[in-house]
Amino acid sequence: MRTLVDRRRFNLLLGAGVAAGALGARMPRARAANKITVLNWQGYGTDEAWALKLFAEQTGIEVVHDYFNSEQEMFTKLRTNPGAYDVALINSAWTSRIAEEGLLDPIDFATVPNSADLDPLLRDSSNFAFDGKPYGVAWVWGMNGLGVRKDKAAGAQSLEVLWSPEAVGRVALYDDAITEVGIAALLFGESINDPKDMKAVVEKLKAMKPNVKLIWSSEDQWNKAFSAGEFDYSIYWSGAAGRSQKTFKLPVEFIVPTEGAIGWLDGLSVPASAPNKAEAVSFINYMIDPKFYVKWATEVGAPASANAKAMEELPADDPQKLIHKTEYLKKLQFMSPMPDDRRQAFVDAWEEVKAFYAS
Amino acid sequence: MSEPQSGAPARRGLSPGAVTAALVTPAYLWLTVAIFLPLVAMLVFSFLTAAPFGNRAVSFTGAHYLVFYNRPYLVEVALRSLALGAWTTGICALIGLPAALALSRAFHGRTREVLFFLVILPFWTNGLVRVFSWTMVLRENGILDDLVRAFWVDAPSIGILYSYPAIVVGLVHAYLPYMILTCYLSVVAIDDEILEAAKSLGARAPVVFWKIVLPLAAPGLIAGSVLIFVPVIGSFMEPRILGGTAGVTIGTVIEDQFTQAFNWPLGSALSFIMLAVVLVVFAVFSRALRGRLTLS
Amino acid sequence: MTAAGKVFLFAVLGFLYLPVAVLVAMAFNASPLYALPFEFTTHWFEELSGNDKLLAATRNSVLIAILTTVLATIIGSLAAIALSRRRFRGRTLLQLLLLPPIAIPWLIIGTAMLVFFFWTGIGRGLHAMVLGHVALAIPYVVLVVGAGLNNTRIDLEEAAMSLGSTPLHAFFAVTLPLLMPSLIAAALFAFAVSLDQFVISYFLATPGVSTLPVEIYTSIRKGFTPEVNAVSSLLLAASMFLIIIFARLTKVGGVSGRR
Repeated sequence: MRTLVDRRRFNLLLGAGVAAGALGARMPRARAANKITVLNWQGYGTDEAWALKLFAEQTGIEVVHDYFNSEQEMFTKLRTNPGAYDVALINSAWTSRIAEEGLLDPIDFATVPNSADLDPLLRDSSNFAFDGKPYGVAWVWGMNGLGVRKDKAAGAQSLEVLWSPEAVGRVALYDDAITEVGIAALLFGESINDPKDMKAVVEKLKAMKPNVKLIWSSEDQWNKAFSAGEFDYSIYWSGAAGRSQKTFKLPVEFIVPTEGAIGWLDGLSVPASAPNKAEAVSFINYMIDPKFYVKWATEVGAPASANAKAMEELPADDPQKLIHKTEYLKKLQFMSPMPDDRRQAFVDAWEEVKAFYAS
Repeated sequence: MSEPQSGAPARRGLSPGAVTAALVTPAYLWLTVAIFLPLVAMLVFSFLTAAPFGNRAVSFTGAHYLVFYNRPYLVEVALRSLALGAWTTGICALIGLPAALALSRAFHGRTREVLFFLVILPFWTNGLVRVFSWTMVLRENGILDDLVRAFWVDAPSIGILYSYPAIVVGLVHAYLPYMILTCYLSVVAIDDEILEAAKSLGARAPVVFWKIVLPLAAPGLIAGSVLIFVPVIGSFMEPRILGGTAGVTIGTVIEDQFTQAFNWPLGSALSFIMLAVVLVVFAVFSRALRGRLTLS
Repeated sequence: MTAAGKVFLFAVLGFLYLPVAVLVAMAFNASPLYALPFEFTTHWFEELSGNDKLLAATRNSVLIAILTTVLATIIGSLAAIALSRRRFRGRTLLQLLLLPPIAIPWLIIGTAMLVFFFWTGIGRGLHAMVLGHVALAIPYVVLVVGAGLNNTRIDLEEAAMSLGSTPLHAFFAVTLPLLMPSLIAAALFAFAVSLDQFVISYFLATPGVSTLPVEIYTSIRKGFTPEVNAVSSLLLAASMFLIIIFARLTKVGGVSGRR
């Protein structure tokens, strides 16, 4: 039953099904070297129009974007579009997994001058490392913690508030297995990346049922429901909380619970197949420049920069600076790479919990 | 209904078989390249331990098809999804057929044409934006409550956002035009004379409906049901946004397997199981219908 | 009876247009989060007029939808004629094969296409998008046209032929006019399927080329602004305008199917 599949022959077999030449094979179109393609979430810094204009003025390089809606889509696009991308945004929990497939180039920090100002804890994070070499430049970090309506915030310093009687029907959870399993793990005082007892995690999350009003999957959905008063307590993104306060004047307070929050670190990488590697590196250097970050954070709203100097340059009363305290970096548990079967166990646990909520 | 004959007698030497082939080939060749072959790849993936990328070893397994055995909680999710399909299709039929009859009998000429277009037009707006509009209508103290309170000031809230009924409302809205228009296409061809004749022979309205209108509307009802039931059981956008915690369907489970677990084999196995269920439902359904509807 | 029918149909239209009315109203509401109370503004239309990206995406969507509509309606109708008019071996199988494209979620079909097109060298770009959009629209066309064909009268076609028409002439003189309502309905559905299609465009468009649904879906992570409502309202207004023109110009009972 278990035979090894030879991928090349397998592909050949599939390809043979198509009438040859009916749709002539297309090579990736050659591009002028002054244009690079970035793969990222939409509206996540790299596509700010003013920044791209400035970058083009400085370097003559034009930047176009392709977007993804989940980390797996980013991975899939990298796998199936060799030569299409010059820069990719990758959650550091995925970087080594993607590097392992030979899809990324190692980073030579000597070519990224601004990397000298990166917080060493983040720049040298083991998440970026594969085979002893770094495959990503730390860009921004943030936390998944409690986003609570201002007038309820005083009594909501612990994750336990999500289970409390005053939160009945007033909780919004984030539809992400890694985060929700991680929340239970934090409560148990365990590793968010490898909780000891998944059964206990499932039971704990199931117990929240009477309190859960909705499960959100985009910042947009969170904002619209929160502004309509649908819930008071939620698991939310730190960077988004700052944006909700600033852009939409929503009365939300981001709280790092006493049990801790779930940290994540996003990096910028250069695909091994990138056609314009030097230009890609200069764009990455620009992206970690404090000048870009301060404008992005203060005018639009951003997660915390991995660049320590950039964080210092933020005005003292900036919501992002108030939320993302540097001392958290030492205490936070960061999302880390995990084997496929463990990731599957996380998702199965969360699916079981959601099915229970729905029943 | 008269049985279609095997094409017109060929006069210019083209055999009926060649004509048939010429008619179906473009569509099915197109579907083969764009959909069937890619789906065959997915079908193969569903028997692998992981999608065949990178340099990790991949082997054959049938384990993904035991998904309902290994994850018993999914059985209930699947049943709820089937029920969602049944509710949506049923309500669409109950509203759609009368609406189609009204459109074809109560209106004529240009008015009818304009109304016909007006039924489809909401379809041309983005589905996601429409669903967000529904959240405003259905939420507590939302627009629906405002409308009710315009007539009855102290009405209690009937906001149903974040519930199973809210999903059904959103789905009925999204798919109703299919049912109205497929039914319309069937009933518009009914001769007024047939109905008049039946009535003058003393048939009462329910009898006319049951014996004449319904059998003639059947092709439209069936086509509409296929176009509604099939996508609804795999829907995930309306459930996620309108359903709150009730918004767990086999569609959202499949989506999560792709986007969160990165498990294409399991996700595709689930969709092929769903496809098989759909085929079985329609096989049974069409057999049952055949018994009833060919009596004309 | 007719009066009741009219009231009922208008009630159904009321239901269909309720969220559409909300959508249009929100294009004129000041709150970016659709928050009430309503506060009139044309701000979002002004923003939209400067948003080249969204406008270009909308234009791409409409162009692809038109191309898809033409191709899918022709190809699908031909197959529908064969499937409902001709008896041949494998007919049931061909009918069943229309179900997978509708039943399998778009995310999976889209992923499958992306992988398959990559392996076979079809690649990404406009050709790949049209290939995908038309394929997804074909089953809808076949089913809708088939539903109409089942009720057009073969006896008329045969009468025409017995009066000396060739099959081809009988088709164009008799069947096609009878089929018109179905063809128009199918075309309108094909247009709707393409205009709202997200996954295929998103996986298969050349990087940097975008469509309206792609803009909307990829921006919900951060949040889309009522500019999306503004552009949707403009599309609706344009469609309404076209319908009125169409209704004024056509003399033949286009979709009425009156004989």
